[in-house]
Amino acid sequence: MPAPPLVVVDRLTKRFGDTTAVDGISFAVAPGEIFGFLGPNGAGKTTTIKILTGLLRPTSGRAAVGGYDITSHAVEAKRLFGYVPDEPALYPKLTANEFLNFVGDIYEMDKDRKQARIRELLALFELSADAGALLESYSHGMRQKVALCAALLHEPKIYFLDEPTVGLDPKSARLLKDIVRAVTRAGGAVMMSTHIMEIAESLCDRVAIIDHGQIAAIGSVPELRELRGRDTLEEVFLHLTGGFEDRQIAEIFREPARA
Amino acid sequence: MRRGALAQTLALTADLIRFRILASRRDWTSHTLYVVAGIASAILVIGIFGGTYLGVRALQLANATGLLGSIAEWAFLVYLFTDLFIAFGQALNDMYLSSDMPILLAMPIRAGGLVVAKFILGVVQNQVYVAVFLLPFVLGYLLALGAPWWAYLVSIAGLACFPAILYAVLATITILTLRVIPPRVAKEVLWVIGAAVPTAFWLFNFAAFAHINGDINSLHLPTAPAWLPSTWMGHLLTAAGAGDSSTAFDWLGFIALITLVACPIGLAIVSSGFVEGWSRSTTGRRGATMASGAPAKLSPVAAIVWKDVSSVLRSPQLWFNHIASLGFIGYLLVGHQVQSPILPLTIQLAMVQIGFVAVLDSLNPGMTALSLEHRSIWLLRNAPLTARQIFTAKIVGAYVQTALITTVAAILLGEGYRFSIYGTIVLVAFALLMSAAAICFGVAFDARFPSFDWENPNAINRGVRMIMPFLNGLFILTLCGMFLALTRVVFRGAWEGWLAVLVGLLWSALVVAWLFIRTSQEAVRNVEALEVG
Repeated sequence: MPAPPLVVVDRLTKRFGDTTAVDGISFAVAPGEIFGFLGPNGAGKTTTIKILTGLLRPTSGRAAVGGYDITSHAVEAKRLFGYVPDEPALYPKLTANEFLNFVGDIYEMDKDRKQARIRELLALFELSADAGALLESYSHGMRQKVALCAALLHEPKIYFLDEPTVGLDPKSARLLKDIVRAVTRAGGAVMMSTHIMEIAESLCDRVAIIDHGQIAAIGSVPELRELRGRDTLEEVFLHLTGGFEDRQIAEIFREPARA
Repeated sequence: MRRGALAQTLALTADLIRFRILASRRDWTSHTLYVVAGIASAILVIGIFGGTYLGVRALQLANATGLLGSIAEWAFLVYLFTDLFIAFGQALNDMYLSSDMPILLAMPIRAGGLVVAKFILGVVQNQVYVAVFLLPFVLGYLLALGAPWWAYLVSIAGLACFPAILYAVLATITILTLRVIPPRVAKEVLWVIGAAVPTAFWLFNFAAFAHINGDINSLHLPTAPAWLPSTWMGHLLTAAGAGDSSTAFDWLGFIALITLVACPIGLAIVSSGFVEGWSRSTTGRRGATMASGAPAKLSPVAAIVWKDVSSVLRSPQLWFNHIASLGFIGYLLVGHQVQSPILPLTIQLAMVQIGFVAVLDSLNPGMTALSLEHRSIWLLRNAPLTARQIFTAKIVGAYVQTALITTVAAILLGEGYRFSIYGTIVLVAFALLMSAAAICFGVAFDARFPSFDWENPNAINRGVRMIMPFLNGLFILTLCGMFLALTRVVFRGAWEGWLAVLVGLLWSALVVAWLFIRTSQEAVRNVEALEVG
């Protein structure tokens, strides 16, 4: 019998006033799976992830993480996942070391385990030398690395990563990919949103393409390519979400008329 | 067609003012809050106007010419130093910490035009405070003295110039400071200077009040420093009120001249180094490595408290109202020597005074407790924490600060008033109670109307946010103060007056407990319902 999914989204809807950001979507992420969430800006990716992480409340439908409903059993569900937001806003007046200690305490980690894990992660992301500097002095990429360390710190089984590679240097991006693969090999699940098709194509077991709050397509990358008769995921994406034709682009960026 | 420098500056100024008005309106979607704040502001304006009118009339009837001739300059001085708190931060906010600066600087706008537009924006915002605090004073003063019509025009024209001078000087000081002190330090230090300088000035100058005596006809306030614009405005208003058109117009001419000289000079200095100064203020350089202050292991609530207290200790701009609160003790001690002959000092009066200090001190820590999370709020909301844990941590984190400051303040006041140890303990207890009430309501207010999108922490409490918790704190203090007075009358002389004090203290504790129970439940629900978009 297959293991129950770690993330379940069932007819999930989120409205902000008259705007429907997420419109009755359903999907599940199984243990050992890397699930890519693709879509144009404003399609509903971040809203969905924010509902799953308890930052937003659904208007209707259900979202469960590790078997716990994120609305009715929020604390139990939140113990099970790590989250990296699209904008890694951290506490500017704490050092990286202090920040990670704070996160470890919030997750009630054992003292020795916490310290060992912080040392390990800081070294892994090459932040050890700057661990004592205030986070306000960090670059965007460094803050992104600290946010990743915070998500990995308590060794959760489930990860929600919202544009996790933005701001990372190639070496760190590669490291992240390796970590994601290692997590899923160990039976965890990763749901990540990305705009980079190459990452989705090379890393994700399945992807969902969301547009205007609805899922336009879902499946493995080869399945989607085959189903839509396209050569690349990028072409599938543009076909489903509506890309500009070459003619239109040429029209917009035509050579300015000479005076 | 390209616009000229002046047209471009005027268009940019109009746009910035329009955007600021739009931002203020969009910040507050609750109409009820606007209505309440509007009524509160109207009461304030009417109170200042009515109080000034009645006070000046009374002085006029008592033939207190000395006081009538000197109160205007002191009223403007009070405003000037109150405004210094606001305007210093505003100059820093609008010029350096404003989030629109990167976009504006990347646009084809002349740096000079940008500085002028930002300067006018700052002055216009400052005019709002002038309209609320000074205009009713000026109108009440002139009306009570039966001043001629031109006196109103002259005084209002002077009022229009007054904040421009102040703002020009402060903007210049800001940029010069950024040239000397590293920008990251300067951002923090300027706030402390804004609080410490007026406090020190007040303490030195207020001491002069301690020596005034004599009958009301011959009484006059000490001469205010002649070099301050507030003194010039005082001279203008006094002359206008007395119908001395020649002197009034002379002072208006002088103020207008200084405005026309100070503003361009200040703007020229600011413009000349603005782009470089701004660039330096935003260039990140890795800070020095700090010894880790993180304790080995804490409970989630303690971890949040530790994080909040550490952030406050490392952000001097958040010490602002603590410094001001401690400075207020100085005013009370000096003021006591003047006030005692009129209103005898009792332990109950001292309790109300320290209660007021506690309310003042608790305003910012309470009502920014949650909002200080800023955009990092996602972390607390997706962490396995209950709303009650977050609320508790925020209450404790804010209370730790104010409890410390108000305890010190109460001890200083008790010592200054030469109270016995028991009297000082009562002051400390009452200060802690009032502080708890203000913190509790402040955190509850912040949970109901959080503001996570700010450019610097001292900008969180602008506008409507400043009024509501302050009024609530005053309401609780008044409620307790009235009962203190009542028990003083009812239990007169029992246990040498200590019974009245203890019953009053007990009543205050009950009021605070009731407030805590009532507000905490709703606050927890609001934290629970908090969405991070």
